[in-house]
Amino acid sequence: MPEIQGFAFPNDTHVHWSLMIVMYPYITGFVAGSFIVTSLYHLFGHQAFRPIARLAMATSFAFLLVASMPLQLHLGHPERGPLVMITPHFTSAMAGFGILYSGYLAVLVLEVWFVWRAAIIERARRSRGVARAFYKLLALYTYDTSPEALEIDHRAIGLLAGIGLPMACMLHGYVGFIFGAIKANPWWSTPLMPVIFLLSAAVSGIAMLIVLYQALSKIKQRAADQACVAALARWLWFFLILTITLELLEIIVMAYERSESWLIISELLSTRLQFSYITVQMIVGGLIPLILLGIVVLMNRYLHERLRNTLSTVAALLCLVQVFSMRWNIVVGGQLLSKSLRGLRSPYEPEIFGREGVLMAIALVVIPFVILWVFDRVVGIDAGEPAGGAEGGAPAVADGTAAH
Amino acid sequence: MDDTTPSTTPSRRAFLGGALRLAGGAWVLFSGGPLADALATAGAPGEGYDWTEHRYAYLIDTEKCIGCGSCARACAAENDVPDGFFRTWIERYVVGVEGSHVDSPNGGKDGFPPVQVGFEPTKAFFVPKLCNHCKETPCIQVCPVGASYRTKDGMVLVDGERCIGCAYCVQACPYGSRFLDPVTHTAEKCTWCYHRVTKGLRPACVEVCPTGTRMFGDMKRDGDPVRHAIEHDRVAILQGHLLTEPQCFYLHLDKEVR
Amino acid sequence: MEHARHVFRAVLVLVVVVAAVSIGRGFLVPPSYGLHGPYRYDNVQEQMDVRAPRHGGVAACAACHAAQADKRTAGGHRTVSCEACHGPLARHVAEGKRSAAMPVDRSYLLCARCHRKVLGRPEGFPQVVLERHLQDQQVAGPVEGKVCLDCHDPHSPKP
Repeated sequence: MPEIQGFAFPNDTHVHWSLMIVMYPYITGFVAGSFIVTSLYHLFGHQAFRPIARLAMATSFAFLLVASMPLQLHLGHPERGPLVMITPHFTSAMAGFGILYSGYLAVLVLEVWFVWRAAIIERARRSRGVARAFYKLLALYTYDTSPEALEIDHRAIGLLAGIGLPMACMLHGYVGFIFGAIKANPWWSTPLMPVIFLLSAAVSGIAMLIVLYQALSKIKQRAADQACVAALARWLWFFLILTITLELLEIIVMAYERSESWLIISELLSTRLQFSYITVQMIVGGLIPLILLGIVVLMNRYLHERLRNTLSTVAALLCLVQVFSMRWNIVVGGQLLSKSLRGLRSPYEPEIFGREGVLMAIALVVIPFVILWVFDRVVGIDAGEPAGGAEGGAPAVADGTAAH
Repeated sequence: MDDTTPSTTPSRRAFLGGALRLAGGAWVLFSGGPLADALATAGAPGEGYDWTEHRYAYLIDTEKCIGCGSCARACAAENDVPDGFFRTWIERYVVGVEGSHVDSPNGGKDGFPPVQVGFEPTKAFFVPKLCNHCKETPCIQVCPVGASYRTKDGMVLVDGERCIGCAYCVQACPYGSRFLDPVTHTAEKCTWCYHRVTKGLRPACVEVCPTGTRMFGDMKRDGDPVRHAIEHDRVAILQGHLLTEPQCFYLHLDKEVR
Repeated sequence: MEHARHVFRAVLVLVVVVAAVSIGRGFLVPPSYGLHGPYRYDNVQEQMDVRAPRHGGVAACAACHAAQADKRTAGGHRTVSCEACHGPLARHVAEGKRSAAMPVDRSYLLCARCHRKVLGRPEGFPQVVLERHLQDQQVAGPVEGKVCLDCHDPHSPKP
């Protein structure tokens, strides 16, 4: 039984939105953040991101495949989950999930297909038997890799990135809207919520890519492209500044306006969320990466490669922690305070086992990397884009790596 | 010959074009669902009960409440409410100049024990609470599958067969009226005893209240005393600034009550 | 556009999937959905019939227990429903006949639930500090068991 301090409405003592609901925005954050990075290359032509453009797209795809799992695991009736698609009630932001998720999935599947099409056809040509039949199916039985076809692919990728970027932003922004539009809960109800969610999604996506890129470089014994690392650090710093600014702004405005909810919220922050909000989210996850990334960006010219890699990786890991704690503080924190505005309940402790437990949450983050590994085995990620983009017309080979 | 080189046969494209047109027509035809047939038989539910003839409302006079908890017990017995969850409950307010104290031990089901407060109390009262069956509910607004809905006679109900148990409505209710039933794993709340009211009975809580604190009425019935009180007396609602338009009205509500 | 064949093929696959989902959805929407709003209208009748009413009201009790009912209307508990103390009718009546013993709670706790003096009750309402009340009435012994019933008839307590 939870302990109540003060007075809580009798039905208000339960935390219904569990660890799984913390994981869901965390995972869709990776989807949106990775897609922003890959779009910076495919849509906006930032050449610095060429080495990881494909990795970013594959990461976005891998996390998207897992994104609906935390929701299914959380529902009281998971077998009725598809009802959101069958009889969606469109005044509900959650009903948007069905449309946004499937729409964005379609766009991303198409874009992945166009990007890797030449590689798939190459593998179809080189393999025999069942593998050959499989690759031919993946290629949809068309085998055109002429310069004109690849040019069409290039334009299609640009178009899909143009459609996909707002969709990825909406896929994560609507999660922020789910919280931000609940007038009943003063910790959630603010127009800033979708913006904060989206910006911290960018932080988590870029941070994930920094860590992933460094890890892959170590595994493949290949140096990480320093211009790319510097660019990633720069964008991470930029998004982190925006995120922290808005998160602080929300608190500052609430404290200044001192409306009826401020008393219980300040008590929430200083008691129940003191460690996770002040220590983890703001200091360890906010202030320290701000400083580390500031060093990487402002002193870029003077940094040795090892130092740049190390600083940006440490900062990225801290940012991953920051974004997780931000999600936790919002989802769980909002349920620790009662709508009576007179009471707080004892902290929520997630179960270890069980379908909404800690092990399941860990599995949800591990599975996308398994998917990435399978993806690499099947079509080869080869991290970067082919030299010169689509002009060459030859099957994709990047940065001096041997083909798998 | 390597069959992975491209070939060009314009006739295939023409076939595809025709197939697409045909499929498009079939898609439009079948996507609508069985709505067309059902519309023909639209009508009121049940024999003898016409939901367009009623618009229910609830009135609570907090000056009369003695905090006996009979209402909460009757509701739990009438509706199989699980322990630890409440479709209705009573809150006690003890108010002084220096502070205020609110409690609701087990929702008030076992009555209220004596209480010591750390200040000089100047007034104390009980406030029964339940689902307000709002006109502009946040809970219906956020239900992703249309399991929560409002009937034409003013009841907000939850379709237990459609509810997916996402608990969004529980988060959206500003009054804490909703809960997720641990047995059915669906959202539950007070239904103003719809199964009684549509048979001309009163909700169980109103039936057992010994002091006349709780009153149930019909805004469409001439001479209804609840309707008269709402239309002519000074009534208050909970959290009016949220514009949920609750249909549960209170007489003699204090500013301490949220 | 011969080099764009693969584009058309991909779009075709997409269109087929979307069409299949839309058509499949049509079969899964329940028949009464959307009749009066975005909900399953059949549920309204289901809610009306969700269970038989369990509380009968005073009139239903009076049908068999006329003596107690009359005594009650003449006394101080005239506004107190029988079921507030004895529980819902359905606990001991099924299909118009007695199915189980009617719950009778004779302990002082039942009386105390309403009449123990606590902060919050209206001033004019009869409430006592139980120990003081026994002393004032010169009743010896602790507050326990059915001590209230020694002096008070619950169906017609003194006004």
